[in-house]
Amino acid sequence: MAKEKDGDIDLIIVVNGQPIPIEAHAQEPLHTAAQQALNKSGNSGQPLQNWEMRDGAGNVLDLTRKIGEFHFHDGTKLFLNLKAGVGG
Amino acid sequence: MQYADPNVSRRKFERELAEYRTLGGEYRRRGWFLIEAEFPKVLVALASAKLKPPALVMGVAFDYTNYDAAPPSVRIVDPFTGEPLKHKELPNPLNRALPQQELTLSMPAGGVPGVQKVMLQGAQPYLQAYGPEEIPFLCLAGVREYHEHPAHSGDVWELHRASGAGRLVRLLEIIHRYGIEPIVGMGVQLIPQFNINYGPPPP
Repeated sequence: MAKEKDGDIDLIIVVNGQPIPIEAHAQEPLHTAAQQALNKSGNSGQPLQNWEMRDGAGNVLDLTRKIGEFHFHDGTKLFLNLKAGVGG
Repeated sequence: MQYADPNVSRRKFERELAEYRTLGGEYRRRGWFLIEAEFPKVLVALASAKLKPPALVMGVAFDYTNYDAAPPSVRIVDPFTGEPLKHKELPNPLNRALPQQELTLSMPAGGVPGVQKVMLQGAQPYLQAYGPEEIPFLCLAGVREYHEHPAHSGDVWELHRASGAGRLVRLLEIIHRYGIEPIVGMGVQLIPQFNINYGPPPP
């Protein structure tokens, strides 16, 4: 049974290529799950605002929106990558 | 030259590959094809799956020698031969849109006096070279050529190393975003040519 009914969703957040399982809560903003993934993967070198989260289709996700608004299923993979920066 | 402990570099290289392969199906759906992977080198071909038929747009060659005491080298290459592409041969220079700028013109091009505001949208390429015959480098923190460039001596690798700036998937994501995602379709140029057609010559 999907845990969505309890408000909990099991996400896989892929941090720079490293899959990190996260138990997320529908009522919390997405940045809480992103920060958990950074902490669990040991990525403490850059603040969260230097990272960008996308779904499997490549759409950039708004980290301030509540997780429940995205209607993720258990096992959904999200991709968290360090932003490119200004370059040049 | 490998100056870092080769066992350390090799293990970190293998970790990069293992993580890539864990999600290899996802990456293949995006159009990423891992062609070669033998320490310290990786070659990935990037295709645009949006196009019908799909197009193999570029290859990306990574060299993880001394990783992660040093960042990886990254070159855009011909996916068929593995040869680095010169700037003039690039399918695109990985342009990043700059913030729009408002330009105020006191005399517009039409010659009618007055003030006109124009919005300018510039772009900055992530692939930089000094000329069309040069092999460009990816001007991005986490890339060896960027950190070795004298203009970036104030932005050393050690500032980025702990955040995974040189990781394989992170670099591929950026190259894909700026080099593959903007592709929306094939362009066709038709050049009409007229000539006179003749039938068989008379007897």
